[in-house]
Amino acid sequence: MSAASEGFSWLATNEAAPVLRSRTFYPSSPQSLRSPAPVQPAAPMTIRERYGLRSPIVAEMERPSLSICAEESPASVHSWEPSTTRIETSSYLFARRAIAEVATVEPPAPAPIDVAVADDAGADGSNVLARLRKHNRYTRLKPPGESVKLADRLQVLLEPPLELLLENQCLELPQRPFPFQMDGVAFLYPRQAAMLADEMGLGKTMQAITAIRLLLRTGEARSVLLICPKPLVSNWKREFQNWAAELPILVIEGNQSRRQWQWRQPNAPVKIANYELLRRDAEIITDPSLRFDLVVLDESQRIKNRSGAASTVARSISRERSWALTGTPVENSADDLVGIFDFLAPGHLHSSMTPQRMGRLSADYVLRRTKAQVMIDLPPKLMRDADIELTPEQREAYQMAEEKGVLKLSEMGDALTIQHVFELVLRLKQICNFDPATGASAKLERLMADLEELTASGQKALVFSQWVESLNVLKKRLHRFNPLEFHGGIPSNRRDDVLQEFREDPKRRVLLMSYGAGSVGLNLQFASYVFLFDRWWNPAVEDQAINRAHRIGAAGPVTITRFLTLRTIEERIDQVLRDKRELFEQIFAGAASPKTRLSQEEIFGLFRLKCPAGPMTPVAVPTYADQPAIETMTPAQ
Amino acid sequence: MTSDARVDSPLVFGFLTVVEQPSQGLVGGYLLLNAQARPLEFHCTAPVRASRTQEILYGPTLEPFLYGEQIGRTLFQACQQQPTAIFTDRPSALAAAEHVSAPVWLVLNDDVAPNANSQASVATRGSAAIAALAPAANYRADTAHKGVAGMHALHCGAYRLACRAEDAARGVEDRIEAAVATFDLEEPFERIRAAIDESQRGAR
Repeated sequence: MSAASEGFSWLATNEAAPVLRSRTFYPSSPQSLRSPAPVQPAAPMTIRERYGLRSPIVAEMERPSLSICAEESPASVHSWEPSTTRIETSSYLFARRAIAEVATVEPPAPAPIDVAVADDAGADGSNVLARLRKHNRYTRLKPPGESVKLADRLQVLLEPPLELLLENQCLELPQRPFPFQMDGVAFLYPRQAAMLADEMGLGKTMQAITAIRLLLRTGEARSVLLICPKPLVSNWKREFQNWAAELPILVIEGNQSRRQWQWRQPNAPVKIANYELLRRDAEIITDPSLRFDLVVLDESQRIKNRSGAASTVARSISRERSWALTGTPVENSADDLVGIFDFLAPGHLHSSMTPQRMGRLSADYVLRRTKAQVMIDLPPKLMRDADIELTPEQREAYQMAEEKGVLKLSEMGDALTIQHVFELVLRLKQICNFDPATGASAKLERLMADLEELTASGQKALVFSQWVESLNVLKKRLHRFNPLEFHGGIPSNRRDDVLQEFREDPKRRVLLMSYGAGSVGLNLQFASYVFLFDRWWNPAVEDQAINRAHRIGAAGPVTITRFLTLRTIEERIDQVLRDKRELFEQIFAGAASPKTRLSQEEIFGLFRLKCPAGPMTPVAVPTYADQPAIETMTPAQ
Repeated sequence: MTSDARVDSPLVFGFLTVVEQPSQGLVGGYLLLNAQARPLEFHCTAPVRASRTQEILYGPTLEPFLYGEQIGRTLFQACQQQPTAIFTDRPSALAAAEHVSAPVWLVLNDDVAPNANSQASVATRGSAAIAALAPAANYRADTAHKGVAGMHALHCGAYRLACRAEDAARGVEDRIEAAVATFDLEEPFERIRAAIDESQRGAR
């Protein structure tokens, strides 16, 4: 007699009778497949098995038997002997690649261990693991939601915690990362498609580099392409040297024949290219024979416009994994996110989706942390809105320009376009900075007073404007502060020198920067004051600028002063910016907000103009030197 | 799984544990790791539940029977590679030593504060484990556990390990020490539990 038992197996329910057997499963990733020869002959997988679904309980187990033989003897004999029980098992085999198959260079001697780290880490950092063990504070890898097969999910779950993975692969880090940064690495490492959207200054670069380093070290990737804005190439190179000194980095640059050779270099596990090269070298990059195991887009908002050349080429690159790094996944509208997802997971998001649905669907692909969430120890960010009255000269010029401009726009009738409105906006904003006739500037007066005070106390400051012309004027008028400049007018080969001088020269306390050139990727945490001399259309770009200073490494509070001239177009734009912030919250924080984009009425409403009827289509508004295109809407022609 | 691990073979460590699923029974998990603590093989059983007959007949030896003979042996047979040593956090799983050539070590870590809610805490099982290691206290006196000898204890780093004396005589202690230098010996059990949870979630 066999005892009834409960159990389960991997047998599909369409099989006639439960059969005991072992099944062997292999993760689906081609890199990790052990080549053919499982010991157990693999039976064809049913759909249920392939997708990791478990069948109902069907296992049958032989049990030690107890026989009652009442008929064989006058006295009943109860006999028993143990018998073998066969139990259903599920097996998963993982192939391991040899370590360090990628080319490496000799890293420089490790930097001295930070005192604060050494204090509880021990001189060699060994106590860190002991402490982690004791408190069970390991950073564990979690399978991405996109993994459907159970074998794939188990492969991730069964990997060691990140700390052990790094230690056992002999990957030393120059500094101990914050726990949230380890979480970021653990998020990126197992994912085919991922967006790291941390707020600026939380170390996206370091997290990406460490994840790349792990992929290369474990043999899961051999060829990585990182694409970033041109001004950030040297920054990435420097960060790679800091966080992954053993990795040879090849920066794609030079003339076309040289680049062509560089693109095909097999011995460079990490190649860095800038977005401009996507367009220039499109033919090479999109050649299917050039394949990358991983393509990382830094400042991935650059491809938000799906019809743009950068987006088209980036999406065409032959690749295994796609990662996007951005602090501003949504700059103007929810469509920005759709544009980035067309690179990460084509078709996953659509423009027709509500922001709430977009947020839900993108949740597993996106990791976003804000400083408020993770950086308890980060110095505070003090926001000051400096409401300023125009000088009489500015007010007079402003009123005249606005009245004339609005009148002209009103008279244009059906010929009126958004471009015309923007021209007036920009004209008025320039007057808010400086009176064109006299050069009078209420903002400048306030700025000089503030600079006087902060430079006297040995502090450093960043001053942002959207116009190179305004920065040039500021340079002359702020002469006594000996300011440095960093904008599109400064040759790219001189920019690193400018930043180094600002960083190291105690006499250089003011850096004049344009939003376009200085808002992304730069580490200027030694500046404790940021002035937004004029306001950008996009709050995300303003945040980028602010976070040059307010980031990891900032020694003290960072004070941000946002100049806003009262009863001007700047005040009206400020309201638009607030609306955009609401949109961002709606997608990434679940906050309710009905608005998703600037409406036609809002744009024309800046001047109380009646907007033309008809559908709207995107258009890039012509911009001034050094200023990225402003994307907005215009009536269809 | 019949020959002894060669001393010069690559280090492969097995981790065996058993998870009790309240509604389904016992699920065994066996993870083989390489010297970098990365997974090589993972095997888990279907839930096993003793019948009433077994409960009566095996009495206090039921758990070693289920952990060792039923679960442990099944998992060892499913495995392709031969480990240098096997670690378990369940005292009753020491009974599995009779079905595998590699020594089976029980991991005891008294440094971890007892946690009544944590099934994973070895410390909560520490005393019970010691008791379980008393000769023949919980072992069957039939063919499954012939000749139970004394237990051998080993202090290694932060861990206290115990195995059957005959296993300790195999001279693999230096390799065990190498493992302790590389591994957090408790951590892999967490991985096994997470993997079993994941597979059970899939089953539901």
